[in-house]
Amino acid sequence: MAAHAHYREAHPLVFVITHWINLVCMVMLAFSGFYIHYPFFDGFMGVARGMHFVAMFVIIINLTLRIILAFTVKTATQLGSREVETDIKNWLPQKENRHQFWPTVKYYLFLKKESPISAKYGSLQKIAYLATVPLTYLMAYTGFGLYGPTADWGFFAGGVDMVGGPMNMRIIHYFGMWVFIIFTMIHAYLANIYSFAPSRIIFAWKETVESEH
Amino acid sequence: MARVSIDPVTRIEGHLRVDVEVDGGVVTDAWVTGTLWRGMEKVLIDRHPTDAFYISQRICGVCPISHSHASALSSEQALGITVTQGARLVRNLIEAAQYLHSHILWFYTLAALDFVNPVNALSADIADTYALAQAAGTRAADFGAIATRLQSFVDNGQLSILSGHWWDHPAYKLPPELDLIATAHYLEALEMQAVAAEIIGILGGKFPHQMTSVPGGTAFVPTESKLDDILFRFLKVKDFIDTALIPDTLAVAPFYLDAVGYGKGVGNFLSWGVFEEAGFDAYKRFLPRGFAQGLSLEQVEPTDVTEDVSHSWYKSASGLNPADGETVADYTGYDADGKYSWGKAARCKGLPAEVGPLARMVVAYLAEASGQALTPDSFGAIRTPKVLIDSTLEALGVPGQPEVLLSLLGRIAARNLEAAYVADLSVAWVNELIGHVREGTLDGFFAEPTTDTGKGAGLWEAPRGSVGHWIDVQGGKIKNYQVVAPTTWDIAPRDDNNVRGPMEEALIGAPIEDAERPLEALRIIRSFDP
Amino acid sequence: MAQEAHGALYDLLAVRGVSRRDFLKYCGSIAATLGLSEAMVPQIAAAIESGAKLKPALWLNGGACTGCTESVAQADSPDVATIVLEILSLNYFETVMAAASDAAEKVKEETIAEGGYILIYEGSVMTGFEGGTLVVAGKTGLEHLKEAAENAEAIICVGSCAVDGGWVMGRPNAAEATGVQGFLNHEGIATPVVNLPTCPVNPEWVVAMVVQYLLVAGDDAAKFLEMTPMVTRRITDAVYGTDVDLLFPKSLFGQTIHDNCPRRGHFENGEFVTEFGSEEEALGYCLYKVGCKGPQTFTQCPVTRWNRRASWCVESGSPCIGCGGLNWVDNNTPFLMRLSDMWLGDGLTYVQPGSIAAVAGGVVAAGLVVHGLGMKAAGRVPGGAPTEEMKEYDRKRMAKKGGDK
Repeated sequence: MAAHAHYREAHPLVFVITHWINLVCMVMLAFSGFYIHYPFFDGFMGVARGMHFVAMFVIIINLTLRIILAFTVKTATQLGSREVETDIKNWLPQKENRHQFWPTVKYYLFLKKESPISAKYGSLQKIAYLATVPLTYLMAYTGFGLYGPTADWGFFAGGVDMVGGPMNMRIIHYFGMWVFIIFTMIHAYLANIYSFAPSRIIFAWKETVESEH
Repeated sequence: MARVSIDPVTRIEGHLRVDVEVDGGVVTDAWVTGTLWRGMEKVLIDRHPTDAFYISQRICGVCPISHSHASALSSEQALGITVTQGARLVRNLIEAAQYLHSHILWFYTLAALDFVNPVNALSADIADTYALAQAAGTRAADFGAIATRLQSFVDNGQLSILSGHWWDHPAYKLPPELDLIATAHYLEALEMQAVAAEIIGILGGKFPHQMTSVPGGTAFVPTESKLDDILFRFLKVKDFIDTALIPDTLAVAPFYLDAVGYGKGVGNFLSWGVFEEAGFDAYKRFLPRGFAQGLSLEQVEPTDVTEDVSHSWYKSASGLNPADGETVADYTGYDADGKYSWGKAARCKGLPAEVGPLARMVVAYLAEASGQALTPDSFGAIRTPKVLIDSTLEALGVPGQPEVLLSLLGRIAARNLEAAYVADLSVAWVNELIGHVREGTLDGFFAEPTTDTGKGAGLWEAPRGSVGHWIDVQGGKIKNYQVVAPTTWDIAPRDDNNVRGPMEEALIGAPIEDAERPLEALRIIRSFDP
Repeated sequence: MAQEAHGALYDLLAVRGVSRRDFLKYCGSIAATLGLSEAMVPQIAAAIESGAKLKPALWLNGGACTGCTESVAQADSPDVATIVLEILSLNYFETVMAAASDAAEKVKEETIAEGGYILIYEGSVMTGFEGGTLVVAGKTGLEHLKEAAENAEAIICVGSCAVDGGWVMGRPNAAEATGVQGFLNHEGIATPVVNLPTCPVNPEWVVAMVVQYLLVAGDDAAKFLEMTPMVTRRITDAVYGTDVDLLFPKSLFGQTIHDNCPRRGHFENGEFVTEFGSEEEALGYCLYKVGCKGPQTFTQCPVTRWNRRASWCVESGSPCIGCGGLNWVDNNTPFLMRLSDMWLGDGLTYVQPGSIAAVAGGVVAAGLVVHGLGMKAAGRVPGGAPTEEMKEYDRKRMAKKGGDK
């Protein structure tokens, strides 16, 4: 991928906000989750649990809202372009993504020199981002299976039984968090490897008109 | 000649089958079969040593405390831990409570019905019963009420747990009044065993299967109020032992004096020692370690143990020391001439060895006779094994003849005398611990491991006999685990040299009045508390 | 009416010097155990008083340690003597019964033939070596269970072993143990089964269920199931691999230990024990950090307590080890850690989830660093590599087309 301009049309303000909410909730969930998993200092459990539950509800609502907005808000179809289209269309495979999965893999494994042609999001990127949607819901589902007030609801209790009890559910929930952590590491790395322009737009909503490099 | 199969043997822990050959009214041969295998040793492999403490005690629901302590000792040896004095005292108290619980339960609930006939008690004269109780020095109860309760029970026609037994067997010899006293105490004993179990509940969270004697020490932190709770209960149980268990034993014994003439068994006695003393020397435990061939005492080490499997349903190698033991099950059906038991044949110095209260009391008696003091001076006047045995021999009219103990009657008496000794000790320990708590002179209750790799042999005594747990820990996980349970010693089948196990041997020569109803054989079997 | 009943329990208690007030008190404790209201007390009293006939019952020991028998001997409301003399006619109860051998088996066979009894089952169902891991009176434990279960009105499984195989089914389950319900499903026996886990069973729960059966349901199995709120949990049978639905009385197994724990306040405050026998232990702080399995163990232990309410595991200082859970050994070991170990296949070993996660996280982090250096070395950073002129796919297709020409 060569350097592109980053325009606000790529990430309208509402998505900058949902991304911020995601980030804050994720940090809170992971921190409080780690604390609940093993309280590494004293005096914080009540707060940690409260934080976990609030952030959990916020992130689920935020994600659901984000999905609805995908059908109503228009976003840029390409990097460095102000041409917009209904957001959801930019999430589904676009013609620029077609046949580009393996070339992208090869590019990142240094088996291909040139950056593959891509839409706003590359094939891998799209899959990874989209995967966070079911993953978030899975975390919610496993979490509700462990959460006192909901654990005995048939919908959740059935899942707890299916995986062999609350301990296994807890382990799945725990690993789910690690998947998010690993996703975030890779996401932050790849988003910023060429320049911090993507961060400037998604966090500060500041455009980078063209490549500085 | 008749071959009688007693299957199932009831009123014991677990599942047991015993076959005896009766010739001319006497047992001439016997085969003892453990009929259950669950694979405990396999379950423990790859788990953590502390898990073994929690899981391995579930081998036995009647002596889990002793298994848990043997397991903790093995882990502590493997992981280089010495427990604190506070933990030592707490553990001694839990163990003591289990001894008292177990011995009371055994005598009244499990064994008594072989000697006591509650149906016969119905014809007792209430006034005579009171007179007899007073003469025997045993505690009175509301005998009239109990007789009424018994009568309505029998009138109802449903005999519940008393159904189907040989109540008309000629081997029942007690007068109805004594039957009534013993039945009253049978009911009271149910209460007392529960009081003793409450002590374990307080110290260990629950009984059966305690929670606190984890490798490293104890999770129980004694407070004065908790210790007062257990002191009160120990005193209550001790009172029952002094005013019912012991006098009842002495009152019943004269009617079954022929039982000093048989049931001796192999005559080799093993005790790993139990109730830790301040210096942690197994030979100086309150009931010390030792191996007695007859009445001659010698030292014994874990390496002296082997387990033969040529008559057991295993295909692993025979004659291994448990430190290198294997457990590979291979059920091939019952064959009295070949393999016939799930029990391995445990051997000490190559010999079958009896374990249990008789073995411990013999070892303690011999140690005391050779000049060893079993209790510290600070404990004051405690009825030690030698004091108890000598006075009992005198009461039975055989002073200075400890060898009569090596019999069916001796095995029963030894258990009850041991209960008296342990009751005295328990009160002394609670007071010692209360003193420490009050003055704050304890050095904590838990010590961390110093290594994560090592081997250990936890050798201890359950109420029913010697228990050994062998552990091999590598990198904090269990590589191998072997248990030699009390029952493994006593119900051992024949070994590689076709030598009978202790219970098998004890049955030889027992008189059987009615081969169809071998009550006398059951008495011997149950005297081991298998 | 009730006072006149012949052979009634109350009369027997009166003979023993138990006042009517005490009697009602103990009926009250049964009601409390059952989660019934105080208003039920007179009804319970009447039901027990009028029960002239004892309910026949068989107690079978499978692959058991006898701990549940021992435990039931600790019951006190009512006590064990009352249970075996005045409530149940326990015609077969290996550990306590007077008779042995053929005489014992005969009573059992007669009771089975007559029917109308409750079966109480302790221990695992031993299927190893075609049942050779447990043989009693010449028959396998499996045959004994089958015979007794077919004719029983209802079965009470006491202790975790009877529920799903307990510790005996823990890896590697060498003796092939399983639970009663799974075995009965396999054998096509439809007798209703109520499960009372924990290792051993809590005696007050057994007593409560027996009284519930005879009292609330009027000695009617169908009514008992209808009137006793149950939780259903689905497991995979340890031996047969089938899905098995287990019924647990909701009043006893509907809430976690954590929810009822007297140390819960310290949990919320974030006050924890990190070492046994420590100052924090003495203060009664929460045992969560030393691996307490209370948060995932659904039993009423903190309410019922143990050994006549003397104490219970957590009060004595030990974390809960989850003995009332399903597949409790594998699911809860190592007991002193927060999460159970994960089995990585035969011949390998158990690993903590945290170790797996840390390794995965570490590998990815290291991978990204190396990748970043690679990007630098490849000259892609900063600014990225030049974008290809045409997709590889299109280029190949064009090349192919060209070749065709």
